[in-house]
Amino acid sequence: MTIDDAVGEPRVRRLGGHLVLGVLSLACVFPVYWLYATSVRAPGDVYSLSVLPWPLSTASYADAFAKNDVLGMLLNTGVVAVFSALGQLLVALLAAYAFVAWRFPLQRLLYLMFVGTWLVPFQATMLPNYVLLSRLGLLETLAGVIVPTLCSALGVLLLREHLAGFPKELLDAARMDGRSSWSTLWLVVVPALRPALAALGILLAITAWNEYFWPAMVLQRSNAVVQLGLRSFMGTEGNDWGPLMATAGLACLPVLVLYLVLQRHIVNAFVRSGLK
Amino acid sequence: MSRIQLQGITRRFGPVTAVDDVWLDIADGEFLVLLGPSGCGKSTLLRLIAGLLPPTEGRLWLDDTDLTHVPPQQRDLAMVFQSYALYPHLSVARNIGFPLRARKWPRAEIRAKVAEVAATLGLTALLDRKPKELSGGQRQRVALGRALVRDPGAFLLDEPLSNLDAKLRTGTRAEIAELHRSLGTTMVYVTHDQVEAMTMATRIALLDEGRLAQLGTPSEVYDRPASVFAATFLGSPAMNILDATVRSADGSLAAHGKGIELSLGIDAVLPDRPVRLGVRPEHLTFAPAGGRGIHAVVTAVENLGSEEVVQCLAGEGRIAVRGPRPLGVSAGDAVTLTARPEHLHLFDSASGRRLTWQPESVPASV
Ligand SMILES: Nc1ncnc2c1ncn2[C@@H]1O[C@H](COP(=O)(O)OP(=O)(O)O)[C@@H](O)[C@H]1O
Ligand SMILES: [Mg+2]
Repeated sequence: MTIDDAVGEPRVRRLGGHLVLGVLSLACVFPVYWLYATSVRAPGDVYSLSVLPWPLSTASYADAFAKNDVLGMLLNTGVVAVFSALGQLLVALLAAYAFVAWRFPLQRLLYLMFVGTWLVPFQATMLPNYVLLSRLGLLETLAGVIVPTLCSALGVLLLREHLAGFPKELLDAARMDGRSSWSTLWLVVVPALRPALAALGILLAITAWNEYFWPAMVLQRSNAVVQLGLRSFMGTEGNDWGPLMATAGLACLPVLVLYLVLQRHIVNAFVRSGLK
Repeated sequence: MSRIQLQGITRRFGPVTAVDDVWLDIADGEFLVLLGPSGCGKSTLLRLIAGLLPPTEGRLWLDDTDLTHVPPQQRDLAMVFQSYALYPHLSVARNIGFPLRARKWPRAEIRAKVAEVAATLGLTALLDRKPKELSGGQRQRVALGRALVRDPGAFLLDEPLSNLDAKLRTGTRAEIAELHRSLGTTMVYVTHDQVEAMTMATRIALLDEGRLAQLGTPSEVYDRPASVFAATFLGSPAMNILDATVRSADGSLAAHGKGIELSLGIDAVLPDRPVRLGVRPEHLTFAPAGGRGIHAVVTAVENLGSEEVVQCLAGEGRIAVRGPRPLGVSAGDAVTLTARPEHLHLFDSASGRRLTWQPESVPASV
């Protein structure tokens, strides 16, 4: 039902609703707009408050590319996002499948412990993880950024809920048809769960892409990922706004493009995860 | 050859005993129907045979092989699920060919076999469709096809018709029976529908709360129900059951009760014995008023088209009479109903077990 179909809805209230939504969406979109607007201002205009950036200039971008290996940073961030998302998906898939398709001792306890790790704040595991990485010699490597994210309780939680609604008779049918539990997972469960897996994968990839704090700890002074690269334009004697905005704009770009292309999936992912 | 033997099969889920000490010997080529009300353990029993559930107690044999601990993949049994359980992401052809791919058949042979099965089931035109693009009846056929394609030792079917509409159900029922005749393969068929059981089964295994209530051919189960449960589960309307007392009068036995006096056709003198008297609606006839029989008042007449069902009240008991239309009575009429002695069933008033007459003794439990 569209709003137009609503019977007996007073016109004024409908208009009021639109007005409120309009103002809210403007408030959401404006910072993003300002980011891109600033990035295309001429270097002398970065503090300008004019809403329309004019004259247009690519100087900030050129500056950003000159001072940093922006493409390399974007590539590294992409690697982190993709591997972190795929790794979490794999772990979550195997764990969720085991929790749903198998009966084993201490199942409930194990699941509760899994869920429990989700409630442990990041700050509590950060230092132990850091020490562990340092012992493993993974500090200042991309692997060090990725590995600790691989076991995500969130992924296990979401996929388990999904699988709980998966018809058990399909698993039984595959067994009757001669499939092992392992091949049933790949031939029956994964294809049927594709939309959910895609949605979760996108959610995890975006989260990994946007992560700042953990890479900052592991990678320390290096600017291997783009979110850290932004730091190099912030200094004690003031921020270099133009290239900062340009780099930030480029960092947002893949997420925005992904969002525009896969809008329906992403909205799904967020709704399913119950997160905002 | 595939003879399936169940020896004391029991399955408990925590405090619930879903299947309770079931002994069954299913002969090769038999069409055995597991019949019973919802929740009586039919599906559980079928899943135990399939190997999808391990039994808590008991053993299971296929011919001379002890199957009790053999996983389902190695049992050579095919199953049709109530929900059909078609793989949603695969086409009809790939759904049917799925068990063959698992067995590593060569592609060309799979294609040929799938085409052959699809032709038997009239699915040839649908081979490229996905399950969600099929009607209920078509899905059901695909599920059958997936079972057929393997040439299994036996088929296990769990209420395969329950999701179809009435008309389709009648047609498919006949087709499955025909399939069984042409294949000659053992089938174990679960249903709660007595018509399916009566029309398709070579033998019926009637289940009541996980226990085997009666095992026999459809006529045996219908004509000589082993208990009140069996008597009232089969038949439509169900068998009338009335409380009565067996009493000797003038050297022969008769059933007496509130407004009831029916001769049992047995010459004997016995002490009085309370029983439950059963008589099927189609075996009751209207007798001249005032004679011996069941005195009742007609409460309603239901028109079934070719037949009528007359609902009566006799004492506190409800009685249904079924016969060709018109039976010539209407609501409010006082009637007398009789039945031939061989159509009267006696059940023990406490246990509900069938009582049979053995001339040299008192009526005894079977
Ligand atoms: N996996 C299970 N866990 C616990 N109880 C079950 C399970 N499967 C079946 N039951 C119980 O066993 C009984 C028989 O169930 P089922 O075999 O499905 O009955 P039917 O197929 O005759 O309707 C029911 O009381 C049901 O609740
Ligand atoms: Mg069932």
